Amino acid sequence: MSHAGSREGGDKRRPFFRRKKTCPFSGAGAPKIDYKDTKLLQRFISERGKIVPSRITAVSTRKQRLLAVAIKRARFMALLPYVMR
Amino acid sequence: MALYEHLLIARQDISAQQVDALATHLKTIVEGEGGKVEKQEYWGLRGLAYRIKKNRKGHYVLLNINAPSKAIVELERQNKINEDVLRYITVKVDAFEVSSNKARRDDAAKPEGETTTEEAAL
Repeated sequence: MSHAGSREGGDKRRPFFRRKKTCPFSGAGAPKIDYKDTKLLQRFISERGKIVPSRITAVSTRKQRLLAVAIKRARFMALLPYVMR
Repeated sequence: MALYEHLLIARQDISAQQVDALATHLKTIVEGEGGKVEKQEYWGLRGLAYRIKKNRKGHYVLLNINAPSKAIVELERQNKINEDVLRYITVKVDAFEVSSNKARRDDAAKPEGETTTEEAAL
Protein backbone atom coordinates (compact mmCIF):
# COMPACT_ATOMS: atom_id res chain seq x y z
CA MET A 1 0.00 0.00 0.00
CA SER A 2 2.78 2.38 0.88
CA HIS A 3 4.48 1.49 -2.43
CA ALA A 4 1.35 2.40 -4.30
CA GLY A 5 1.34 5.75 -2.57
CA SER A 6 4.94 6.45 -3.43
CA ARG A 7 4.39 5.42 -7.03
CA GLU A 8 1.57 7.83 -7.33
CA GLY A 9 3.90 10.45 -5.95
CA GLY A 10 5.41 9.97 -9.34
CA ASP A 11 9.12 10.64 -9.08
CA LYS A 12 10.29 7.03 -9.26
CA ARG A 13 12.52 6.43 -12.26
CA ARG A 14 10.39 4.64 -14.79
CA PRO A 15 11.89 1.59 -16.53
CA PHE A 16 11.02 2.84 -19.99
CA PHE A 17 11.26 6.48 -20.67
CA ARG A 18 9.08 7.46 -23.56
CA ARG A 19 10.14 10.44 -25.59
CA LYS A 20 7.35 12.86 -26.18
CA LYS A 21 6.46 12.61 -29.85
CA THR A 22 5.02 15.41 -31.94
CA CYS A 23 2.87 15.28 -35.00
CA PRO A 24 4.99 15.20 -38.16
CA PHE A 25 2.39 17.26 -40.05
CA SER A 26 2.05 20.08 -37.52
CA GLY A 27 4.26 23.04 -36.93
CA ALA A 28 6.44 25.07 -39.25
CA GLY A 29 8.00 23.38 -42.25
CA ALA A 30 5.70 20.40 -42.02
CA PRO A 31 5.01 18.58 -45.27
CA LYS A 32 1.61 18.93 -46.88
CA ILE A 33 -0.45 15.77 -47.05
CA ASP A 34 -0.92 15.02 -50.73
CA TYR A 35 -2.11 11.81 -52.33
CA LYS A 36 0.43 12.19 -55.13
CA ASP A 37 3.39 12.25 -52.75
CA THR A 38 3.92 8.53 -52.45
CA LYS A 39 7.32 8.82 -50.86
CA LEU A 40 5.82 10.67 -47.93
CA LEU A 41 2.76 8.42 -47.63
CA GLN A 42 4.92 5.32 -47.71
CA ARG A 43 6.22 6.19 -44.27
CA PHE A 44 2.73 5.84 -42.84
CA ILE A 45 1.83 2.45 -44.20
CA SER A 46 2.96 -0.85 -42.76
CA GLU A 47 4.95 -3.53 -44.53
CA ARG A 48 1.71 -5.18 -45.43
CA GLY A 49 0.34 -1.96 -46.90
CA LYS A 50 -1.94 -1.05 -44.02
CA ILE A 51 -2.31 2.44 -42.65
CA VAL A 52 -0.28 2.70 -39.45
CA PRO A 53 -2.31 3.86 -36.43
CA SER A 54 -1.62 7.36 -35.22
CA ARG A 55 -0.73 6.13 -31.73
CA ILE A 56 2.43 4.72 -33.30
CA THR A 57 3.24 7.49 -35.76
CA ALA A 58 2.12 10.31 -33.43
CA VAL A 59 0.15 12.00 -36.20
CA SER A 60 -2.55 14.23 -34.73
CA THR A 61 -6.15 13.09 -35.01
CA ARG A 62 -7.01 15.71 -37.55
CA LYS A 63 -4.01 15.03 -39.75
CA GLN A 64 -4.54 11.28 -39.47
CA ARG A 65 -7.97 11.68 -41.03
CA LEU A 66 -6.51 13.67 -43.92
CA LEU A 67 -3.68 11.17 -44.21
CA ALA A 68 -6.09 8.25 -44.41
CA VAL A 69 -7.99 9.91 -47.25
CA ALA A 70 -4.73 10.67 -49.07
CA ILE A 71 -3.55 7.07 -48.75
CA LYS A 72 -6.86 5.78 -50.04
CA ARG A 73 -6.72 8.09 -53.04
CA ALA A 74 -3.17 6.99 -53.76
CA ARG A 75 -4.30 3.37 -53.59
CA PHE A 76 -7.11 3.99 -56.02
CA MET A 77 -4.72 5.55 -58.51
CA ALA A 78 -2.36 2.58 -58.15
CA LEU A 79 0.34 4.74 -56.61
CA LEU A 80 0.25 2.60 -53.48
CA PRO A 81 -0.79 -1.04 -53.18
CA TYR A 82 -3.85 -2.21 -51.28
CA VAL A 83 -1.91 -5.22 -50.02
CA MET A 84 1.75 -6.11 -50.09
CA ARG A 85 2.89 -9.67 -49.87
CA MET B 1 -14.96 28.66 -61.19
CA ALA B 2 -13.09 26.31 -58.97
CA LEU B 3 -9.69 24.68 -58.98
CA TYR B 4 -9.42 20.99 -59.67
CA GLU B 5 -6.60 18.52 -59.94
CA HIS B 6 -7.35 15.83 -62.46
CA LEU B 7 -5.10 12.78 -62.52
CA LEU B 8 -5.64 9.98 -64.98
CA ILE B 9 -3.98 6.71 -65.93
CA ALA B 10 -3.93 5.75 -69.60
CA ARG B 11 -3.41 2.24 -70.94
CA GLN B 12 0.20 1.05 -71.25
CA ASP B 13 -0.07 0.07 -74.93
CA ILE B 14 -0.65 3.54 -76.30
CA SER B 15 2.25 5.77 -77.26
CA ALA B 16 3.33 8.97 -75.57
CA GLN B 17 2.04 10.91 -78.58
CA GLN B 18 -1.39 9.37 -78.18
CA VAL B 19 -1.35 10.34 -74.51
CA ASP B 20 -0.48 13.84 -75.55
CA ALA B 21 -3.33 13.85 -78.05
CA LEU B 22 -5.67 12.62 -75.31
CA ALA B 23 -4.55 15.38 -72.98
CA THR B 24 -5.10 18.00 -75.67
CA HIS B 25 -8.51 16.53 -76.36
CA LEU B 26 -9.43 16.88 -72.68
CA LYS B 27 -8.08 20.38 -72.73
CA THR B 28 -10.39 21.35 -75.57
CA ILE B 29 -13.34 19.91 -73.63
CA VAL B 30 -12.50 22.02 -70.62
CA GLU B 31 -12.02 25.11 -72.75
CA GLY B 32 -15.27 24.40 -74.57
CA GLU B 33 -17.08 24.64 -71.23
CA GLY B 34 -15.41 27.93 -70.42
CA GLY B 35 -12.63 26.61 -68.24
CA LYS B 36 -8.87 26.71 -68.42
CA VAL B 37 -6.12 24.13 -68.03
CA GLU B 38 -3.49 25.87 -65.96
CA LYS B 39 -0.92 23.14 -66.09
CA GLN B 40 -0.48 19.84 -67.84
CA GLU B 41 2.04 17.40 -66.48
CA TYR B 42 3.01 14.09 -68.00
CA TRP B 43 4.60 11.73 -65.49
CA GLY B 44 5.57 9.12 -68.04
CA LEU B 45 5.00 5.40 -68.07
CA ARG B 46 4.99 4.33 -64.45
CA GLY B 47 4.55 0.94 -62.90
CA LEU B 48 1.17 0.43 -61.25
CA ALA B 49 1.03 -0.82 -57.68
CA TYR B 50 -1.34 -3.55 -58.83
CA ARG B 51 -2.77 -4.71 -62.11
CA ILE B 52 -5.71 -2.81 -63.62
CA LYS B 53 -7.39 -4.52 -66.55
CA LYS B 54 -4.27 -6.62 -67.10
CA ASN B 55 -2.08 -3.53 -67.29
CA ARG B 56 1.09 -3.50 -65.22
CA LYS B 57 2.09 -0.01 -66.26
CA GLY B 58 0.29 3.15 -67.17
CA HIS B 59 0.77 6.65 -68.47
CA TYR B 60 0.02 9.18 -65.76
CA VAL B 61 -1.23 12.62 -66.73
CA LEU B 62 -1.99 15.40 -64.28
CA LEU B 63 -4.12 18.37 -65.26
CA ASN B 64 -4.56 21.43 -63.11
CA ILE B 65 -7.89 22.85 -64.12
CA ASN B 66 -9.64 26.07 -63.34
CA ALA B 67 -13.17 25.54 -64.58
CA PRO B 68 -16.85 25.51 -63.65
CA SER B 69 -18.25 22.21 -62.39
CA LYS B 70 -20.01 21.61 -65.70
CA ALA B 71 -16.67 21.16 -67.43
CA ILE B 72 -15.65 18.53 -64.87
CA VAL B 73 -18.86 16.60 -65.38
CA GLU B 74 -18.23 16.53 -69.12
CA LEU B 75 -14.58 15.62 -68.62
CA GLU B 76 -15.43 12.67 -66.41
CA ARG B 77 -18.15 11.53 -68.79
CA GLN B 78 -15.65 11.42 -71.66
CA ASN B 79 -13.13 9.58 -69.52
CA LYS B 80 -15.70 6.98 -68.62
CA ILE B 81 -16.34 6.30 -72.30
CA ASN B 82 -12.71 6.27 -73.38
CA GLU B 83 -11.25 2.78 -73.10
CA ASP B 84 -7.70 4.10 -73.09
CA VAL B 85 -8.33 5.67 -69.70
CA LEU B 86 -7.96 3.12 -66.93
CA ARG B 87 -8.64 5.40 -63.99
CA TYR B 88 -9.08 9.04 -63.22
CA ILE B 89 -9.58 11.10 -60.11
CA THR B 90 -10.65 14.70 -59.74
CA VAL B 91 -9.89 16.51 -56.52
CA LYS B 92 -11.06 19.98 -55.71
CA VAL B 93 -8.24 22.01 -54.20
CA ASP B 94 -7.91 25.41 -52.59
CA ALA B 95 -4.65 26.12 -54.35
CA PHE B 96 -2.43 24.25 -56.77
CA GLU B 97 0.64 22.71 -55.20
CA VAL B 98 4.07 24.13 -55.70
CA SER B 99 6.19 22.14 -58.10
CA SER B 100 8.71 21.26 -55.37
CA ASN B 101 6.81 18.06 -54.67
CA LYS B 102 7.36 16.91 -58.22
CA ALA B 103 10.94 15.91 -57.56
CA ARG B 104 9.90 13.63 -54.73
CA ARG B 105 7.31 11.99 -56.93
CA ASP B 106 9.82 11.38 -59.71
CA ASP B 107 12.18 9.72 -57.27
CA ALA B 108 9.49 7.32 -56.22
CA ALA B 109 8.73 6.57 -59.86
CA LYS B 110 12.24 5.54 -60.75
CA PRO B 111 13.90 3.65 -57.92
CA GLU B 112 16.57 2.31 -60.31
CA GLY B 113 17.65 5.79 -61.35
CA GLU B 114 17.82 6.83 -57.73
CA THR B 115 20.16 4.05 -56.71
CA THR B 116 22.52 4.72 -59.59
CA THR B 117 22.86 8.37 -58.65
CA GLU B 118 23.52 7.39 -55.06
CA GLU B 119 26.23 5.02 -56.16
CA ALA B 120 27.71 7.72 -58.31
CA ALA B 121 27.80 10.03 -55.30
CA LEU B 122 29.65 7.41 -53.31
